Amino acid sequence: MEIKHTALAGTLESSDIQFTLSKGTGVEINLDSQVEKQFGKQIKKVITDLLSEYGIENVNVRAVDKGALDCTIKARLIAAIQRATDTQNQPNWEVLG
Amino acid sequence: MDITTLNLKDNYYYQQWQNLVQNEGLVIENLADITETLGIYDGDKLIATGSYFENVLKYLAIDPDYQGGNTFNKIVSTLINELAAQNVFHIFVFTKPKYKKSFEYLGFQIIAETEFSALLETGDYSIGQYIKSLPKVTGQNISAIVMNANPFTLGHRYLVEQASKQSDYVYLFVVNQDASLFTTQERIDLIKQGVADLGNVIVVSGDQYMVSFVTFPAYFIKSRADVAKYQTQLDAKVFKRVASALHINRRFVGNEPYSPTTEIYNRSMKQILPPEISLDILDRKAIDNDIISATKVRKAIQESNLEAVQKYVPETTFKFIKNNLPVLLRRIHNGN
Repeated sequence: MEIKHTALAGTLESSDIQFTLSKGTGVEINLDSQVEKQFGKQIKKVITDLLSEYGIENVNVRAVDKGALDCTIKARLIAAIQRATDTQNQPNWEVLG
Repeated sequence: MDITTLNLKDNYYYQQWQNLVQNEGLVIENLADITETLGIYDGDKLIATGSYFENVLKYLAIDPDYQGGNTFNKIVSTLINELAAQNVFHIFVFTKPKYKKSFEYLGFQIIAETEFSALLETGDYSIGQYIKSLPKVTGQNISAIVMNANPFTLGHRYLVEQASKQSDYVYLFVVNQDASLFTTQERIDLIKQGVADLGNVIVVSGDQYMVSFVTFPAYFIKSRADVAKYQTQLDAKVFKRVASALHINRRFVGNEPYSPTTEIYNRSMKQILPPEISLDILDRKAIDNDIISATKVRKAIQESNLEAVQKYVPETTFKFIKNNLPVLLRRIHNGN
């Protein structure tokens, strides 16, 4: 799938994460997190796994993490992806399931 | 604690908002430079507020009893989401240096900072990407000019010619803000046509980093002298950052006998740019002791006095004005 325009999901409040997806070449992840040392790798893995499930190969991901759990990261990223690809009304059941 | 939109036209909300903002030491300038204002209440008490104008966050203030918690994150985050809903993702904040850390903690990145203020940005674009997008040249003497050129006159032409003669290359940054009689595209086109014969002049957009609502709102909105001073210093710092990446070592400006804001701007540049970048302030070109200025051109347009227009502008600009006079008059009539 292709990123059609910039989209944002999530907040900057405690236990949440904010994603901004925009057009890019290749997958570029810019992660900002206070727990990057401990969990940076894990957070990035959740992001890259989900992107590849959606078949997104070109995207700039900007993530500002405020200590979100994996399930929150996934939920916010799914919302951002669907917004950025104009597929809000076509949930991807295979990924969600 | 819910977030609500504050209607500042309502005196009840305005009073609460004004108290909070002023207690935090912020100067309220002009309500015309606010698009929307949000507030957080604890009961009947307004404890936090933040506003935006276009893509710039402003007037962020939190009651001292509620600082240090989640309130700040909540208000900034809501403003960002509000702007995202309007498809605005690249966001700036102009703030005091002491709040720099709080914004960095929310993913903002510093663009420039002086002892009075700091400018940060977040989102899907950055000054780094802007610099990357500019054409690069090599040379001993690379100069820069920043101009609004509303519209391009023989005075602008003179400034560019002088720079062109004395440099290997000249970057001509065009102010990219549609707050002038001539649109950004028109101004860029007229500049390009007006300098087409000067092979070493590179016309580029100043994007939002050179004299824009972001870096220098006082240029467009009447403001107090001290406000203009700290904004111009910050603008000069931003310029310096872009300039150093392009190896620019000289900036040419015209002196400004009529506009106090430009005068303050030139003073700030003198203070901030050297020693890395030297500043050349040239006297304005005059015809028979009549100084050429874009203001005079706009006045002549308003009076439909094409003869006067022709005196001040190159043939290319004149042709455009002649062919588009009704449109320009209409814009003036509509208050642009």
